[in-house]
Amino acid sequence: MNLLDRVRLGAAVATAKAITAIVKGLKLGAASVLPGSIARRLHPRLLPLLFEQVKSGVVLIVGTNGKTTTSLLLRTILEQQGKHVTHNATGANLINGLITALLADTDAFGTLDRDYAILEVDENILPLVLKDCRPRYILALNLFRDQLDRYGEVDTISRRWQSAIAPLPTDTTIILNADDPTLNFLGQNLTQTVRYFGLNEPDRYLSEIPHAVDSIYCPQCGASLDYQGVYLSHLGDYACPSCDFKKHPLAINSPEWGQILIGIYNKYNTLAAALLAQTMGIDRNAITQTIQTFKAAFGRAEELTYEGKHIRILLSKNPVGLNESIRAVNELKLAGKSSVTFLILNDRTPDGTDVSWIWDVDTEPLTTSGGTIIVSGDRTYDMALRIQYSQANPPSQANPCELIPDDNLQSALKTAIARTPADETLHIVPTYSAMLEVRKLLTGREIL
Amino acid sequence: MELRIGWLYPTLMSTYGDRGNVICLQQRCQWRNIEIAIVRLDQNATPEQFDQVDVIVGGGAQDRQQEIVMRDLQGEKAAKLRSQLDNGIPGVFTCGSPQLLGKYYEPGIGQRIDGLGLLDLVTKHPGLNTPRCIGNVAFELVSPELVAALEPLWPEAPIVVGFENHGGRTYLGETQPLGKVMIGYGNNGEDGWEGALHRHAIATYSHGPLLPKNPFLADWLIQTALLQKYDRQVTLQKLDDSLAIQARAAMFKRLELSSLLKTA
Repeated sequence: MNLLDRVRLGAAVATAKAITAIVKGLKLGAASVLPGSIARRLHPRLLPLLFEQVKSGVVLIVGTNGKTTTSLLLRTILEQQGKHVTHNATGANLINGLITALLADTDAFGTLDRDYAILEVDENILPLVLKDCRPRYILALNLFRDQLDRYGEVDTISRRWQSAIAPLPTDTTIILNADDPTLNFLGQNLTQTVRYFGLNEPDRYLSEIPHAVDSIYCPQCGASLDYQGVYLSHLGDYACPSCDFKKHPLAINSPEWGQILIGIYNKYNTLAAALLAQTMGIDRNAITQTIQTFKAAFGRAEELTYEGKHIRILLSKNPVGLNESIRAVNELKLAGKSSVTFLILNDRTPDGTDVSWIWDVDTEPLTTSGGTIIVSGDRTYDMALRIQYSQANPPSQANPCELIPDDNLQSALKTAIARTPADETLHIVPTYSAMLEVRKLLTGREIL
Repeated sequence: MELRIGWLYPTLMSTYGDRGNVICLQQRCQWRNIEIAIVRLDQNATPEQFDQVDVIVGGGAQDRQQEIVMRDLQGEKAAKLRSQLDNGIPGVFTCGSPQLLGKYYEPGIGQRIDGLGLLDLVTKHPGLNTPRCIGNVAFELVSPELVAALEPLWPEAPIVVGFENHGGRTYLGETQPLGKVMIGYGNNGEDGWEGALHRHAIATYSHGPLLPKNPFLADWLIQTALLQKYDRQVTLQKLDDSLAIQARAAMFKRLELSSLLKTA
């Protein structure tokens, strides 16, 4: 970094720090975006200059689902090895959020003394970040349909990733999910080092392909892909019947690895973080140890106790997420460990203002397994209708399902807790803003 | 009694919860002991299958998927679909599928795509820099015949609530509009019309789960399908629609339209 850059960086950093202090001092908010926004105006090359200083390099984590949990697992693995890590843990994953997170660990002179930076990046801004920033690692988890009102289509996003990654130095390491045909295809055309994670456990195949599936066509030739089986949405073992496109061999043998939390999606998150940590040279036993003791990020299969009742919160933001939450809950319902499920559907900006996606979710198994379903949120009755239309015909006598809609979140939560037997787990399945709300009610604390 | 639902390209045209309309028709028939079969009208379907359905449902597609549909829905398949709808078979076409039924679609970039020409309407995309039409919608049905047919089915004013998200702007020719916009953009954000109505086919930008929240439209489609098939007017058994009524009331309240809710 030249002297002029250094001076301007110092000025930008000092300003950002002053703003953070003011925002926090006046209790105006968590200051997770604004300082970055202002500092960036003072120094347009701020983000690349911050990237350059991270000793062992920056890790970018992209994907529709699992960014926060995977980042947290990787961070925990690294920290337990004594590494100093910066992470945009607030989930602010647009440019200003990334800058703000890095600035928080920068001293008054603009020096960032960290071994690693782990940055969750919104799928749509990855190309913007890569324009002038050089990460050491990029981890792509999956690409599902999510908030089309914001972003448009899966195909478009992957094409933009491809052209943004292509010019990066060849010593950049790209970790991809081979089970996702779109990402598998992305890797084929890169000159960088590419390593693949995925599942090779056919005994965990779904019995049928869910409705909310995006990518069943060969990204190379457009033919319908042949699936030997799917693990989750369109993630699975596949090959193209009409060209040579097929799932790439894996760099990690999934049956040998345990997993964090519950649900097959967390197996993917575990494998992703484990492969990346191994690539960084972390010892396998150390990784396994962290996996065994890992504690969830807020709302992501997080477990709480409230008034003596055991609660698990399963944030579900899109069709694939909700399908997988329902699958995890149903496994516990069938094992007799849970009978009350509390669905909360909001339609604010972070949730997506369109709630039509709930009709792409296979909610039927949740009703046919019986028990109590309590529904709340801004769109209580939209969700209640979805559940009403999910009931078996005729309704099951053996597994009756009771639906309780209540648009008052507080009293709905009260009902959910009261209905939960002491030896069972209440599952709360909220959208993003609903998760923040319900968590605040349960912990009495506001997060971020 | 049995009804066969023809579902147009279920894997290709199902972007915004569009299968909600199929689920709604299916359940409302089954709750009344009307048997239901779902026929997937996709690439593997024969043209004859287009003739063997009693009600047709179509949803929205992403661009690449829409292209595959347009390539497949040609010749005999297209002719059968057209004659079915011309003969008064009921249908519900949401989100992008009305564009398919129109004369043509002019994308923001690229060439004009011809539609089936069943509806006298055209759709133009004003370019990728023009904001999309996104948000909650409410519109009042305008066809006197449709409004009269709905009266025995639903006590409230015939107001449809839903959600729209479209880049293209649609302009009607001779085809009559489905509704007059109260809240939202409608066909193009200019002339105040929403959707189109041709015989018993409803076309609207309001996507996927249109029917669950507007159950009177679902029942009208079922009733019309039974009339077409069995040539007699069937009085449908009333169902418990209290959740739909509450969902509608919540949206009316939010859109500040509650005062328009009349009860017969």
